[in-house]
Amino acid sequence: MTKQQSAWEKVANMLRARSLWMLYYCTGCGAIELPPTMTSRFDMERFGIGPMATPRQADILLITGYLSTKTLRRVVYTYEQMQAPKYIVGFGSCTLNGGIYYDSYATINKLDLYIPVDLYLAGCMPRPEAIVTGFKKLMEKIDKGEADGWKRYQENYEWYKKNQLDALGEVYIHDEFHE
Amino acid sequence: MNSMNKKIFNEIKAIFKNIEFTDIDERKYSVIIPKEKAVSFLETLKRKGFSHMSLITCIDWIAEKEFEIVYTLFNWETGTTLMVKTRVDRDNPILPTVMEIWPTAKYYERDIHEFFGVKFEGNPDLRPLILEKWEEIPPMRKDFDSAKYSKEHFPDRAYDVDFLLEGSESNE
Repeated sequence: MTKQQSAWEKVANMLRARSLWMLYYCTGCGAIELPPTMTSRFDMERFGIGPMATPRQADILLITGYLSTKTLRRVVYTYEQMQAPKYIVGFGSCTLNGGIYYDSYATINKLDLYIPVDLYLAGCMPRPEAIVTGFKKLMEKIDKGEADGWKRYQENYEWYKKNQLDALGEVYIHDEFHE
Repeated sequence: MNSMNKKIFNEIKAIFKNIEFTDIDERKYSVIIPKEKAVSFLETLKRKGFSHMSLITCIDWIAEKEFEIVYTLFNWETGTTLMVKTRVDRDNPILPTVMEIWPTAKYYERDIHEFFGVKFEGNPDLRPLILEKWEEIPPMRKDFDSAKYSKEHFPDRAYDVDFLLEGSESNE
């Protein structure tokens, strides 16, 4: 599974795993678990993870909760703006299998069909302990060079684009209030 | 029912015959009106103090083949909520707009048109507000199968069952 890494890649991955700037797409209840994870009780900054305001400077994208077809379009936009290497963490059962919204006319059921997810945190909702464990797992994966979602996205771009178009019709964002 | 409300309701009853104000809760009433009289009735209510329109919503009574449009009004002087209900035929749902009375009704009517397919005559802008590229029947109608639509458009995850279900026969 693990590909042979060059010496430079080993060093780069070690450094990448230890300074993660995260961007969170707070679509649902998952975002509630982030403040306690970020602040004093659990304090994710001791792992080198901090919040970031813009997609172009962020490394990890957190998808916290259910995604409707409209928000998925924005997530695809956000993800494509981020610089490689970039990692995606899916929070909760909504991103895994639709959760309690599995039969909704507007909610997608399986996030990794549309963008490459490196790590899923199961649960509805995952506790801050689970999030910290998840991030440690993600750091481990980045360190070993296994978190290669951004490469898969480049290599299978047609497949991802086709899935996006099947669900959304088109990825272009129409907004009557700003057009 | 306090005296202030009683006075207002009696005045309205004198203008519109055969209507009944139903007591739901303290300071909360409902009234049913035929759709032909709805606009003039709402106009009268506005002049009598129910100046604030909080919400327009719709209920699909599929067995009775009717849509029920509910206008929720509020009176700031007496603190009273009044729900004005009117029914419209499900196969041909056309109602006059109340935009002239409350301009904000524009967006509620747009929303109901999108999610139930009720047409509001006189509303110039009934474009879809939330849905995109929608080709099915309006999704809040009760004969719309949401699970089927979801299955066709958003694939489910396939699971390999590698455990025994609790209480299943193969457990024994």
